[in-house]
Amino acid sequence: MITSKEFNCNYENKWCPGCGNFQILAAMKNAFAQQQIPPEKLTLISGIGQAGKTPHFLKCNMFHGLHGRALPLATGTKIANNDLTVVVNCGDGDCYGEGGNHFLAAIRRNIDMTLLVHNNQIYGLTKGQASPTSSLGMVTKLQNSGTPSSQFSALVIALAAGAGFVARGLSAESGHLTELIVKAMNYKGFALVDILQPCVSFNKINTLSWYKERAYKLADTDHDPRDLAKAFNLAQEWEKSLPLGVLYEAAGTPFHERVPNLKANALASHNYDSKLLTDVLLQNL
Amino acid sequence: MKTDVTLKIAGAAGQGIQTIGDLLSEVCHQSGLFIFSVDDFESRVRGGHNFNLLRISDKELAAPGNRLDILVCINENAYDLHKEELRSGGIAIVNAEKPGTRNKTRFEIPLKKLAEEAGNKITANTVAAGAVLAILGTPFTLLADVLKNRFAAKGEKIATLNVAAAKKGFDAAKDLSRNTGFTWEAKKSHNIVLSGAQAAALGALAADCRFFPFYPMSPATGVISNVIPYTEKLCVVVEQAEDEIAAVMMAIGASFAGVRAMTATSGGGFCLMTEGLGLAAMTETPLVIVNAQRPGPATGLPTRTGQADLLFSIHASQDEFPRFVFAPGTPVETYETMKRAFHLAEKYQVPAIVLLDQFLANSRVTEKNSLTVAPDIERFYEQNNSGNDDTPYLRYALAQDGVSPQRLPCSGPGLVRVTGNEHDPEGHISENAANKIAMTQKRAAKLPAMIKEMDPPLLVNPTARVLLVGWGSTRGNILEAVERLGDQSMEIGAVLFKDLWPMDRKAIGKVLDNKQLIMVEQNESSQLGRLLAQEAGIVSFDTILKYDGRPFFPDYIVQKAKELVK
Repeated sequence: MITSKEFNCNYENKWCPGCGNFQILAAMKNAFAQQQIPPEKLTLISGIGQAGKTPHFLKCNMFHGLHGRALPLATGTKIANNDLTVVVNCGDGDCYGEGGNHFLAAIRRNIDMTLLVHNNQIYGLTKGQASPTSSLGMVTKLQNSGTPSSQFSALVIALAAGAGFVARGLSAESGHLTELIVKAMNYKGFALVDILQPCVSFNKINTLSWYKERAYKLADTDHDPRDLAKAFNLAQEWEKSLPLGVLYEAAGTPFHERVPNLKANALASHNYDSKLLTDVLLQNL
Repeated sequence: MKTDVTLKIAGAAGQGIQTIGDLLSEVCHQSGLFIFSVDDFESRVRGGHNFNLLRISDKELAAPGNRLDILVCINENAYDLHKEELRSGGIAIVNAEKPGTRNKTRFEIPLKKLAEEAGNKITANTVAAGAVLAILGTPFTLLADVLKNRFAAKGEKIATLNVAAAKKGFDAAKDLSRNTGFTWEAKKSHNIVLSGAQAAALGALAADCRFFPFYPMSPATGVISNVIPYTEKLCVVVEQAEDEIAAVMMAIGASFAGVRAMTATSGGGFCLMTEGLGLAAMTETPLVIVNAQRPGPATGLPTRTGQADLLFSIHASQDEFPRFVFAPGTPVETYETMKRAFHLAEKYQVPAIVLLDQFLANSRVTEKNSLTVAPDIERFYEQNNSGNDDTPYLRYALAQDGVSPQRLPCSGPGLVRVTGNEHDPEGHISENAANKIAMTQKRAAKLPAMIKEMDPPLLVNPTARVLLVGWGSTRGNILEAVERLGDQSMEIGAVLFKDLWPMDRKAIGKVLDNKQLIMVEQNESSQLGRLLAQEAGIVSFDTILKYDGRPFFPDYIVQKAKELVK
């Protein structure tokens, strides 16, 4: 029986006290334990930023990569070995800013993996600049007359790009978030969980109470996650209300079932075959 | 005495220049002759001006020819552009509306009309091939057999049509036939005709590379498109990435999971990949990148050739880390280099960059077939059979030789932790000063063994007082220039680099000491000269540099070398 404690590791945590990341980390451990995935069977791949450090703070195999590049790294890892369970941790600036193109491509590829975006609407590690998900006009030390770009709505864009699993969580709702992560990991294809979280150090607008005043759970409504049009509407709710839960879920064909040479077995599982290579490469030259 | 003929087939893009060149090459190959075929084309799909330059000999060829025996002009513009390149006794075959001038130097032939007579105007290129081969004195049966083979898949009707078209061209030019000195007969050849791009693909596959993420870019696309025919029989995946950054990241991600992967690009794409290069270096994840060079910063000349990324490749990405840089000189050498690149990248857990260029990637050359597939390949992953809280697996253990044991994630109890941040032996972020020094030294400690892996440069007459020094694809041009200068009683040798980095300074310094060095390179600043000045302490050198986007010819090197030799 694997419990969430088994994921605890001794490495010193480097987040600010009160950071929403602690609850996201707890939800991840609970989700892995619920699925009985031991640390040695888990691969976390991350970008750069406070979210990118997540894999260091629990027991797992990990590739802590570069800013914006977690998704193509994870894509390569999954194409090489689809038998691996891959979860990606990124921040909002990481995934939607620096890695925006990769975000779109990952959705279109539909690789069977889970993306957790720690979305605090601010750059934390670089000390408080506007992120793509900051509200238009948000004043920061760098954007001192307010950020001039409108807000990037990741959920709307994910739906528009054809994502088959789009969910939103809130760090403070750790139990609910655990459920979302489990659902995302069980989804056969690319699953996005955008996780709203407070940044206690730099985001003084979208605080925990700001989120709590607006958040409501889709599970308490009659929303049918198969309803794409409704999902689009929900994804556009923001200033007054914030739906939490699975906005959209539809079965699709994951990447490894679209590519003939990935259908049967993982690329990594084949043995080197000198005779086959000789026959195929050199016989007809 | 070797027989040696050079042809140029010129016209607009979309007029089938390459089809004619390929057909002629195939007939030559089937007769046991050697070819060196170079394509020259603009960055456009239709129109403009393109040519195929085809040199044919009964001996192995190292370089293309530039003085034409036959100029095939698909349009009149081609004649105006290239007529000065004809050697005395050469002949121009010019496409015309109707039969016209017909003498020893200019032969007007209505290709389209003859093709229509044969049954379809689309066979005009086959008519042209027939005419050329008639002039070269080739028996028609050789061409007919090649055509039948070539069009077999398209059905007998198409094959017959093409044979008829070829006959039209052949008969029209028969009386202009000249004795080229070739022995024309169908001969089972032990040689192969390969391009550098094709050889790179084959070498990668032979090295068990299974994943090819890439973003299209001339002239590197050919490397990846040459993998495609094998995806049916071999379990490999080609994936077009959203950009070059993604391509290199995917290769690194796959390598992390134990699958050999590579990407191919040209300079501009390589610029984008430099952050990936650094990530591979910092995480010590094996990585192979082919950079098929083209000239110019930014977009430059997309379809042309150059050698100006040597220093960039050696230094690309911030800070310092060990890497391999190779620059093979021929297709067969490219095949072998790719195999070594994968082996060495994995053995030392470092990036390996293979420099090609448009000239090497696209030129098709006959070489002796020495290609082999190894009975087995050595992999460098440790069994993942230990690791717990008290004694964790140390991905970055401070090994004396810098090479820490590498394991695959999820292959056993040991947790594989990898990060682009500076890290402790366990793979966790560390900002500790002593650790930073230890890790930097660990990575650098790989260099002495890496240097020992490097093949020394090819030396030709190394005792000569004057040495031509080059790297990569200029190899054949320099070799032929040295041979011809030797024939003119000049005491001259050559030093030709294939393995460029890391460099065995002492050994190379000895070779170059007390010589007049003439650097032969396709860049403006003599990048190899500057590198040798830095590494091997050479004080001065002369240069033969070419940076017009077009390849060298031996003639040019011979002429310039004569001016420079003191």
